[in-house]
Amino acid sequence: MRPRKLLRIARWEVTKNAGGIDRRTVGIALVALALFGLVVPFIISGDTGLDDGLYRVSVDEESPYYDVVDSEGAFVIREGGERAVSRSEVELYIGDGEIVYAESRKGIAAYGQLQSAVSRYNNRQLRQELNQTAAFPVSVVLEYRQQSALGDGLRLGGDSGGTDDSDDEDGSTGQTDGSDGGESGESDGSEAGDTSTDQPDDGEPDGPATDRETTTDTGGSGGPIGGFGASFTEDSISGSPSDINPPFPFQSLVLAFLVIIPMNFLIQAYGSTILSERTNRRGELLLVSPVSRFDIIGGKTLPYFVGGMAVEVAIIAGLFVLVNGQLGGPVSVLAVMPLVLLFLGATFLGAMFARSFKELTFVTVTITVTLTSYAFVPAIFTDVGAVALISPLTLLVRELQGEAISLAEFVFSTTPPLLCAGVFFGLGAGLYREEDMFDQRSLRGRVLDALVGPIPVRGKPGGFTARLNGLLPVDVTPLRQYLAVGGLTAALIPFVFVVQLLAIALLFALGEISVVLILVVVAVVEELAKSLHIYAGYTHRRFASGRRRAVLLGVASGVGFFLGEKIALLAQLVGLPDLAVGEAGLQGGIIPGPPVLTVLLFLLAPLALHVVTAGISAVGASRSKRAYVVAVGTAMLVHLAYNLTVVVSVV
Amino acid sequence: MFDHPRWTITKRELGSLSREKTIVLAICIQLFIAAFSSFLVVGLTSLYDPGSVDGGADIEVGVPGDVEENLIRAGQEVDGVTIRRVASNDDALELFERGQLDAVVSTASSPVGGGTQVQVEAVVPAEDLRTTVIVVSVRELLSELERLERVERVDYLDEAPVQIPEDVGSSSYFGFTYTILLPLLLFLPAFISGSIVVDSITEEIEQGTLELLRVSPLSLVDIVDGKAAGMVAIAPIQAGLWMVLLRLNGTGIENVGVLLVFVAAMTLITVVVGTMLGLLTGQRRQAQLLYSLLAVLLFGGTIALPEHPASTVALLAVDSATGTTLAHVAGFTVLGIGLYACVRWYVGRVDVESL
Repeated sequence: MRPRKLLRIARWEVTKNAGGIDRRTVGIALVALALFGLVVPFIISGDTGLDDGLYRVSVDEESPYYDVVDSEGAFVIREGGERAVSRSEVELYIGDGEIVYAESRKGIAAYGQLQSAVSRYNNRQLRQELNQTAAFPVSVVLEYRQQSALGDGLRLGGDSGGTDDSDDEDGSTGQTDGSDGGESGESDGSEAGDTSTDQPDDGEPDGPATDRETTTDTGGSGGPIGGFGASFTEDSISGSPSDINPPFPFQSLVLAFLVIIPMNFLIQAYGSTILSERTNRRGELLLVSPVSRFDIIGGKTLPYFVGGMAVEVAIIAGLFVLVNGQLGGPVSVLAVMPLVLLFLGATFLGAMFARSFKELTFVTVTITVTLTSYAFVPAIFTDVGAVALISPLTLLVRELQGEAISLAEFVFSTTPPLLCAGVFFGLGAGLYREEDMFDQRSLRGRVLDALVGPIPVRGKPGGFTARLNGLLPVDVTPLRQYLAVGGLTAALIPFVFVVQLLAIALLFALGEISVVLILVVVAVVEELAKSLHIYAGYTHRRFASGRRRAVLLGVASGVGFFLGEKIALLAQLVGLPDLAVGEAGLQGGIIPGPPVLTVLLFLLAPLALHVVTAGISAVGASRSKRAYVVAVGTAMLVHLAYNLTVVVSVV
Repeated sequence: MFDHPRWTITKRELGSLSREKTIVLAICIQLFIAAFSSFLVVGLTSLYDPGSVDGGADIEVGVPGDVEENLIRAGQEVDGVTIRRVASNDDALELFERGQLDAVVSTASSPVGGGTQVQVEAVVPAEDLRTTVIVVSVRELLSELERLERVERVDYLDEAPVQIPEDVGSSSYFGFTYTILLPLLLFLPAFISGSIVVDSITEEIEQGTLELLRVSPLSLVDIVDGKAAGMVAIAPIQAGLWMVLLRLNGTGIENVGVLLVFVAAMTLITVVVGTMLGLLTGQRRQAQLLYSLLAVLLFGGTIALPEHPASTVALLAVDSATGTTLAHVAGFTVLGIGLYACVRWYVGRVDVESL
């Protein structure tokens, strides 16, 4: 790769292609974005009223519940009395001392809504009372505290947050030390103001906290959605019991979403530019020029990467100014970088696969949906430790909250997407050749084409191992093929790892069943990763026929997988295997502690498993498509059976 | 009627979708979204609703020293919480740190203003899978304590709080399914249809195949008609499929007919936007970029309406529709047809050579 040529192509890309987006388009886009900016506050305030009028209620005017129902948006008051319930014209009837609800899911849901509406209404009413001690007789200070000291490794981020000293616990009210401003907590928006003025002597750290209490007012909805900065989970929360909210950094998520949205527009443009090289053989001119394909790909990607990062840096800086009142976020920028690369890499590969713009649209939507959930779902569980760290966005959320980020966490979070982006670019680059770029193959065919790229062909030069051919008296092509197959399997591991992590994040909350579901995902993904390129090689007639050859290819693939799988050790850095599901999903690559004998067993058993299952699939792949499907299914079953045995006996 | 050549265009459009199997991809995406949202909601609710976690989430709360009698009573009232009395605060915290207690709640009475207030200090684990469950349980326990304390002081209140109805075990999935999941599933096909129209038109222009089509006995209006008809048709089909699936899954959906009309109207609007952008820019990159921006903007802008389209869908599906709801459906339908008429008028006047 030569930087000068790469930069020249990048400059062409900016002046020719991006210049193709004329001023009018940019103008309209900017106006649209500005208008969208006007809408965002509405959406963030949470007052979208999506459930307005969802439930119909008939309520007596004299009933104490009348005001409750009247003030709740989700309810609409209808006439009709008790008989209307049986005619299913209303879901709830509230009469004199009785509440009748329809015997349907909707009726029960309406009843549940009434319960929460009553507590909200009570809290609102009680806040008007003169005697606040009687209205809120209980004042709570909730403190989050580490149960046992886990992994205090090298710390990267800010030191202001973190966990509290345990010393100040002994005081009568058990305040956290004021320096972290933790007291403002979740209750700011709703009623911390009230409680603290009523209890001037209970030792609230007014100094640092008051600055933050100038944030917005939610109108006492008491929900998790407050003003900016108000509901970032802090180390402790104070207020009345109804102010206690489980740690759910809803706003951090909304903010993080702002980081993801620009990516989707970026990949639209990027996908178009790559695909337009392929339509009408436009890219041929660049291909015949004296530059390598890596220069072309690098040059075409660079402007989008730089542009994307510029936007991200601006957004992150803006977020930090908005939330913390000062610039910041170096770790966040580094954490977002792999995500940007992952989006671009996936889009590049998608654009190399797509036959038409229509197909590209679907591919881009798939990428958007999958990657957004990859970045997003784990971040929801920001306070649930290791699971959250699967997504790099968690690092952003944590830095925003002023929490410390350890180096191990950073590596665990950012390495898989980075490697994955590399795999995507690598596979796509394999297709960036004249013979592949311009022909109209189906999506499936292209996947196989991409996978077969790195596998050497007999008698064709390419790669450094090909030079051995001239030096050695025997034909080493088969050996090179085994190496390539094993290496390709290992290269696919980051992808497998990311899929497994995503599965863990999606499924871990389901309880017991999640372990089995994750094992199924593991078996399917791993077996495909070990065998798909072997099948692709056979469809392209790269391998000589014969069962012995097939078994050896399987062995090569299995060994490659076994070695590459050790990337899962990363997960050990942050203690993900402590979770049962984490252990189930990643157990192949994790080395358990002593005793020594079992270590040997644990090392050899996965190796044997991978070799055997890959062998089964490879033999199937060498025969026909149908035989391959059957064989890979068998391999998955074997893998699943093995995993279940191990998990049952170990966990 | 179906002899007109514009139907050939429609057939060709739909044919290319099924040939490229992209429609399969589209359905996979939607399936993924649906699965993903339900996993999400099941996951979140199980975290937020301790009762739904298997094993009933037995939270052991340590209570050190002298305590309010009401706290003990509250502990008996609330399910899934066990109160364990510990001699001193230090002992309790030690047990907590060793993981033998899930939470520590200590209380003290202190005079505030004219009366006394119960000062509660609760310690919960910082980073634990069960933190949410524990916090929710502690909140329930303390809310019960608050209720009991309030009852004792009701004389000092101007107005007695309204009694909270008894629990009947309702789930919180209901609102989510109808107000978020269903609208998402119904509007996504509409959004995708508009996007395909953009591709379809810009592709003809960029590849120069529009010239070939012009040689055939078709006017540009026919071509646009044909493309639009195909795309407007597939969105309600996908939406209908979803509603059938949801019904099979036990989620009853009323007013399916009206909902399909609504989806068709929405699709018509996105198709109009897509067609106009395709014809005006003639380039896929610009048109797609503007289309996604405008679609997001239009959808965000509907928040200004008296009823958000997502609300309209929810109200129709649960059979709580009002006159306003139906007026919205009618309004969107009229708007869609009107806009489409405008597009036809514009297309009829556009100079094909300039494309």
